[in-house]
Amino acid sequence: MLMALFNIVIFPGLLFLGIYALFFAFLDRKLYARLQNRVGPPWFQPLADFCKLLGKETIIPQGADRRVFVSLPVFALAAVTTAFIYVPIWSVNSLFPFEGDLIVVLYLLTIPTLCFFLGGWYSTSLYATIGAVRALTQLFSYEVPLFMAMLAPAILAETWSISGISAYYAEHPLYILINIPAFLVAMVACQGKLERVPFDLPEAETEIVSGTFVEYSGRLFAIFKMAIDCELVVVSALIAAIFLPFHAANPWLGFLYFIIKTVIILILLCLFRASMARVRIEQMLMFCWKILTPLAIIQIIINLLVRGALA
Amino acid sequence: MSGEEKIVAQILERYPFLEGKITIQRRQRIIMPPLSREKFEDVFKYVVDEVGFHRFHLVIGVDDGEDLGFIYALSNEENIVLLLKQKAPKELPYIKSVCSVFPNALWHERELVDLFGAQVEDLPPGPTYPLPDGWPAGNYPMRKEWKVEYFDKETMTYNPPAEKTPETASDDKAKEAAK
Amino acid sequence: MSDNSKRITIPIGPQHPALKEPGCFTITLEGEKVVNAVVGVGYNHRGLEKACESRTYIQDLYIIERVCGICSHTHSTAFCQGVEELVGVEISPRAKFIRVIMAELERLHSHLLWLGVAAHEIGFDTLFMYSWRDRELVLDMLAMLGGNRVNYGINTLGGVRRDITPEMKELIHKTLNIVEEQNKYYIDLALHETTLAARLSGIGKLSHEDAIKYGAVGPVARASMVKDDIRVSEPYAAYDQIPVKVVTDDHCDVFGRAVVRVLEIMESISMIRFALDNMPDGDLAVKFPRKVPAGEVFSRTEAPRGEDTHYIRGNGTDKPDRVRVRAASEANWHGMQHMLEGDYLADVPIIIAAIDPCYSCTDRAFIVKDLDHGDQRVWDWQSLKRYSVDWYKKRGFDASKIKLAERRI
Repeated sequence: MLMALFNIVIFPGLLFLGIYALFFAFLDRKLYARLQNRVGPPWFQPLADFCKLLGKETIIPQGADRRVFVSLPVFALAAVTTAFIYVPIWSVNSLFPFEGDLIVVLYLLTIPTLCFFLGGWYSTSLYATIGAVRALTQLFSYEVPLFMAMLAPAILAETWSISGISAYYAEHPLYILINIPAFLVAMVACQGKLERVPFDLPEAETEIVSGTFVEYSGRLFAIFKMAIDCELVVVSALIAAIFLPFHAANPWLGFLYFIIKTVIILILLCLFRASMARVRIEQMLMFCWKILTPLAIIQIIINLLVRGALA
Repeated sequence: MSGEEKIVAQILERYPFLEGKITIQRRQRIIMPPLSREKFEDVFKYVVDEVGFHRFHLVIGVDDGEDLGFIYALSNEENIVLLLKQKAPKELPYIKSVCSVFPNALWHERELVDLFGAQVEDLPPGPTYPLPDGWPAGNYPMRKEWKVEYFDKETMTYNPPAEKTPETASDDKAKEAAK
Repeated sequence: MSDNSKRITIPIGPQHPALKEPGCFTITLEGEKVVNAVVGVGYNHRGLEKACESRTYIQDLYIIERVCGICSHTHSTAFCQGVEELVGVEISPRAKFIRVIMAELERLHSHLLWLGVAAHEIGFDTLFMYSWRDRELVLDMLAMLGGNRVNYGINTLGGVRRDITPEMKELIHKTLNIVEEQNKYYIDLALHETTLAARLSGIGKLSHEDAIKYGAVGPVARASMVKDDIRVSEPYAAYDQIPVKVVTDDHCDVFGRAVVRVLEIMESISMIRFALDNMPDGDLAVKFPRKVPAGEVFSRTEAPRGEDTHYIRGNGTDKPDRVRVRAASEANWHGMQHMLEGDYLADVPIIIAAIDPCYSCTDRAFIVKDLDHGDQRVWDWQSLKRYSVDWYKKRGFDASKIKLAERRI
């Protein structure tokens, strides 16, 4: 009981995730700045931002439903933190592995997006409403290729648990090469999930001010921001677990591997962000449905064929 | 015969009363004399439709004392600029909008309304430009008699000093003489 | 059932992250499509024209220079050459060349600035940072020549105030080499980068006919195949002795405007080089009378944003009777509504940015009166700096304690 509480609140739960998310936010901003020939923020900047936001006044719009408006950021953060518990960190196994946890994690990761949508919708602001609609439209376009890209390795491994997939590929490292197209699809589609350039349409600062979050302020906004930062960690950890299954028997070494893997994924995501412009919503839909989805389908077919050949 | 001279000759052929009043200031500049509204509308239509001045640059409002002047800058394919002038009495400054021919005249004409108090007929409805909301009516800042010193920005009112009646003026003179 | 129920109207501005200056665009949307757009400008009308009427010509010159922060030189050139024409003074060839060099450097910095702003509007912040970094080099050159990053004050009635020494010439050549190298990369980026092309192509359409109808000027017109450039069609200053190539493009959209601007940077660079190498010797300024004879003059220059028009009427005294300024942005606003309609909301900021709008040009100046200090004082740079530092210190902001990282190239 005490151990479970420790796991949920401190490690690898809320506290560790929060600290690592702040570190990730710093790394992301620093890298982005260096790529743009800027100096970038000091290491404590995300923490300072978070603390500052906590101390600011929280304003709730008059037309908004108070209870929903306040609870949405907490929901988003809770969903992300829950998802993190099922992702392996220091070994092949996660904390509470079970058959089918991949699906659960993917669905838990959808909850923040829905929270953004509802948050924007309940703000009753024009900019937020447009941002909310964009968030939902975007969800329908990237979710399908993202799910398929994540499920393709599972088909080859013949298991629906993340730990199982990790273990399978740790045993057969060469099979990772088969999954490279799925890896690319997942990397691009998760940009949409994380609402980063080129798919940062729901918050597009220069178009709709900051979209869904325009009415959020103070503590609520801080929690939302935290949820987004944590999502970045969870998604990179998930991609690392499925597509980069290099593990060590020693838990400390395994933990180091985890950090290296996630940072590599962050660097890739940051490169995407720095080298692209924001696309339009209809261009994004086109791209996801016409390029990413067929690519993911081809990957699934390939994996099915390989599976058949192996059996 | 230069392009400018040809254009002047063409205009003079149609409107002989302008003889000697059109000046070619230099290369690419032709300046017309101020015309009253009826004559202006006729000449404007002719110049645009038949002489070939298809580009409209701007309309400049000027305060000529008794009259308000409106200078329309047009140019043609050869980049010759023609300054076409219209005048209207200050009390009844009615002019006709040229927006139907040149849509880009819209903002310039709105500016004439706000700054000079011109009454522009057929001007499409829309916001006023460029004076702020709450600007006191009947104040046209670009007219010569309007002085910045008398305008109070805080209360948005124009407070000119009381006009001197002949008696007080003569009193002043008497005082000065006494000194 | 009417369509109105599906429509929403959102205001963009007067305060909006995409527009750093006050302008209000009331956009009516159907889904994400713009069905109607109403442009509202005039939030900061400064009444410069009225101010000019009560001041002498030489005082007006400094007001005119402050019409716009970005294209200040072109405004003062237009004003100066107008008054010079009114008086009938011919300025020295060297002064003409210096005016051209300043004008082209100004065009460089304005176009690089635009490139950055446009990239920011479409969420491409990396390009934004890069082009503004290179713009700093050009600004350093302008600061060296005029003593100021903007509002260089190099023009005066009858000539220019500062000379270009051989050392300066050397330094400008060196800087131009760097800027040219960088700009080649931007041209490559603008023409071949796919997300950039996808975002810019086909939006903000302004056909050749519409460009003439709405009186578009500058790069906006040239991107619609209107071969209109005052530097060629009515050469002023030394432009009749310098080869000028007019850049045009037939895309008629935002992409075309971007292409025109990046190619114009190259043209400007070669023009500055030519002007520096072929600069004749001579005086900087000629003697200029205080009183200007009665008469009127219509003066035009090519600003970075397009045709800049000044109308000046003298009445025989040392003060003008009427000054009318029509900056380039003001001409390009007219087609805006037409360009916006039918496009997506996502494209609104970039379409607005594509004409390189300058609100201060549109809302021309009003008078600033120093009520606290009724007397006129002349402050040198140091005391002005001290004043500003003290002013902020009183309000709890001490800039001297901020440490900045050193610039690494």
